[in-house]
Amino acid sequence: MGKTIVELRNIVKKYDDSVILKNINIKLEEGKFYTLLGPSGCGKTTILRIIGGFIDATSGDILFNGKRINDVPTNHRQVNTVFQDYALFPHMNVFENVAFGLKLQHIPKQTIIAKVQRALKLVHLDGYQDREITALSGGQKQRIAIARAIVMKPKVLLLDEPLSALDAKLRKEMQYELRSLQQRLGITFLFVTHDQEEALAMSDEIFVINHGQVLQSGSPVSIYDEPLNHFVADFIGESNIIPGKMIKDYEVEFLGKRFECADAGMRPNEPIEVVLRPEDLDITLPQQGKIIVTVKSQLFRGDYYEIAAVDEDDNEWLIHAINPVTNNSTIGITFDPEDIHVMRFNESETDFDARLDQYEGEEREK
Amino acid sequence: MRKTFHWRNIYIFVMFILLYLPIFYLIGYSFSDTKTMAHFQGFTLQHYDDLFNDTRLLQIMLVTLLVALLSSLLATLIGTLGALWINRVSRSLARNTLLSLNNILMVSPDVIIGASLLIFFTCLHVQLGFWTVLLSHIAFSVPIVVLMILPKLDEMDKSMLDAAADLGANTWQTLTRVILPYLTSSILAGFFMAFTYSLDDFAVTFFVTGNGFETLSIEIYSRARQGISLEINALSGILFIFALVLVIGYYFISLHTQRKRNR
Amino acid sequence: MKNKYVQWLFNLPYLLWLALFVIIPLLLIFYYSFIDLNGHFTLANYATYFHSGTYLKMTFNSVWYAFLVTAIALLVSYPLAYFLHQTKHKQLWLLLVILPTWINLLLKAYAFIGIFGQNGSINTFLSLLGIGPKQILFTDFSFVFVATYIEIPFMVLPIFNNMEELNPSYINASRDLGATSWQTFIKVIWPLTLPGVKAGIQAVFIPSLSLFMLTRLIGGNRVITLGTAIEEHFLTTMNWGMGSTIGVVLILAMVLIMMITGEHHRKRR
Repeated sequence: MGKTIVELRNIVKKYDDSVILKNINIKLEEGKFYTLLGPSGCGKTTILRIIGGFIDATSGDILFNGKRINDVPTNHRQVNTVFQDYALFPHMNVFENVAFGLKLQHIPKQTIIAKVQRALKLVHLDGYQDREITALSGGQKQRIAIARAIVMKPKVLLLDEPLSALDAKLRKEMQYELRSLQQRLGITFLFVTHDQEEALAMSDEIFVINHGQVLQSGSPVSIYDEPLNHFVADFIGESNIIPGKMIKDYEVEFLGKRFECADAGMRPNEPIEVVLRPEDLDITLPQQGKIIVTVKSQLFRGDYYEIAAVDEDDNEWLIHAINPVTNNSTIGITFDPEDIHVMRFNESETDFDARLDQYEGEEREK
Repeated sequence: MRKTFHWRNIYIFVMFILLYLPIFYLIGYSFSDTKTMAHFQGFTLQHYDDLFNDTRLLQIMLVTLLVALLSSLLATLIGTLGALWINRVSRSLARNTLLSLNNILMVSPDVIIGASLLIFFTCLHVQLGFWTVLLSHIAFSVPIVVLMILPKLDEMDKSMLDAAADLGANTWQTLTRVILPYLTSSILAGFFMAFTYSLDDFAVTFFVTGNGFETLSIEIYSRARQGISLEINALSGILFIFALVLVIGYYFISLHTQRKRNR
Repeated sequence: MKNKYVQWLFNLPYLLWLALFVIIPLLLIFYYSFIDLNGHFTLANYATYFHSGTYLKMTFNSVWYAFLVTAIALLVSYPLAYFLHQTKHKQLWLLLVILPTWINLLLKAYAFIGIFGQNGSINTFLSLLGIGPKQILFTDFSFVFVATYIEIPFMVLPIFNNMEELNPSYINASRDLGATSWQTFIKVIWPLTLPGVKAGIQAVFIPSLSLFMLTRLIGGNRVITLGTAIEEHFLTTMNWGMGSTIGVVLILAMVLIMMITGEHHRKRR
């Protein structure tokens, strides 16, 4: 466990009557890449702005290195921000933008020049010192905005949807770069995005946020494989979500059939939801399928085919397959017991972790 | 297509002749070796010579420039502060009230401004003269400056201010290093407009000038009432060149900022 | 809290300007409209204004001339703005339209004294044709002509700016949907440039009500505008009460025009 650098305790934010953040508790460790992931309006940017000091929390504590910094103004906080629209100063050139914060600290000119050069090199824009901001492309502005923030040597870098304005290809490229930049600098990144792919690709840890609450946190793999509830399952990756019933440990019923599964620790006959990822479904002959569906349409996605189908009860199914199938044909789909992920209604993250520990413990004892 | 093109150019041409004819007529006669603006005769620079020997008129010109310069400088200062204030006000009712008050002098006819300021100064027992003219010019210039600056300020990306604070700037540093430099072109434009409005003003000055203090407009008015003197033509020739220089300067400033924006 | 204090220090100059040069003078003019020559409170000024035919007739005349000037200026300026908008170096052309406004108003009026005068160029020309010399200066015509001349740039400017804001795709869309040039103009361009037209009317009509110096120099006092009346009451007959009353009428006319033409504060004086 690394050292905790930023901690939010019971943060609440209200505007008049509307509650934007309800009791946010987050710990950020040194040197990790964190992502706040959620749909627009979920409060993720608000969390970022509270840490940056641009807005005040209604209640709760913000701790930096163990010290409460609620009353420390933005300009005295050791965090820096990369803004969504970059917020580069249009009346200054690249050098002046990057040097802005350093000049305020009355650092000798030679040092500033050296530091700016190093920062520009880090973002692969050395030699751009004299360019006007208006002469830069979107991707270049993005890099300058990053350079302007990291030149300040912050302990924590806040990134507010920095890639949202870039085109798909550039975005992919910047994902790699941001990740490697974070590892080279060894500082904490807190990245805000609504793009689950981005979050899964870059983060050490993801906080999934909706309606001002952290719904689930954890590594990308654990969040993807074990979504806690309907929202997380739906928001992260593609998924087929079917209502069902937990008959007993390791046996689940849905679509009127019983299946073996890998989950346990619930009440017998408890109503639950089942998640099946499209890529976990295999296509087979109708008579061999656990579920039989009719193909409605398919889209070629480059590395796979995305097949939309319906079963006899008119439930829609999404299947990822290597090979195409015939439209309107009937196919069977199969899956393994461990592909079934069972979600309880209203289970909190702590309850979920406790249950997992308990039955995994039991398994080990057996 | 070709035909409409043709008509369009003719219309523009005729309108420009109409717009500029009186001005060139005026300047043309400044070189005429006559006493009135009739029957152009011979070429002479006599009227310019008279003008430059007319110390009274030269003095008035200097004073007019002084009033314009001082009033536009002060109006730019007050107007910039005003624009910053209005921009900061977030409640729409308060903002609209401030804006409406600001615009009162913009839309008021000159006679109303002049008459109300005359009452105001008289009530305060202020001696009419240089100071009342200067104050009045500041008064009607402030809203111009505000309106030149406010749109630029409103379209300013607010996250720029966050960024400045994020990089360690305090409120004062944000103002002097980010906001004001960002506004430079608008502030200059505001100053420029205020300057020309002051130079051009007749009606307001006419009310608050009292006896013994005259600006160029007032002087031209009283001379024009006495009839035609070609010295005034010579003066308009010089003023035209002056305006031309100002306009070209303004054109290049705006061209420059526009190019910067478009790049 | 110190910050708040400093903030208000920054607002102070503008606040002082608002109070001293906008609000108080305006209140004073309202106050004076109820004061008679002896300094007593009275409603007589308003009674005089509404009962004596001369004031009402003068107001009507003033409005009529302002209307004429505005209408002619609009008629001439709209095509000019439209055509200029289509030219190549339109910003430069626009600047050339504005340039005459930077020449002192008095000088332009003075030029027309020469052009329209008894021995002026037009009369010389008319004499050559054998029609002439005619009285042109000091007529209604000369007043309307010169006033329109002066106001044209202020009408062109807002209309032109409005046209600049017009997205050219609208015109392409209209043509694409089968409208002729004329239909496009009537159904698309004109309605969309209406705000500019309104701003132009606002910028021209109100100043036309108050052009007092032109009525002297060009109109030869044949045309009395509200502005002339105010100026005379304040500076010649020293009846500030009556002058303020007419001023209040002018302010009300201004408010009325602003309400009719909507919220456009484009500047001109």
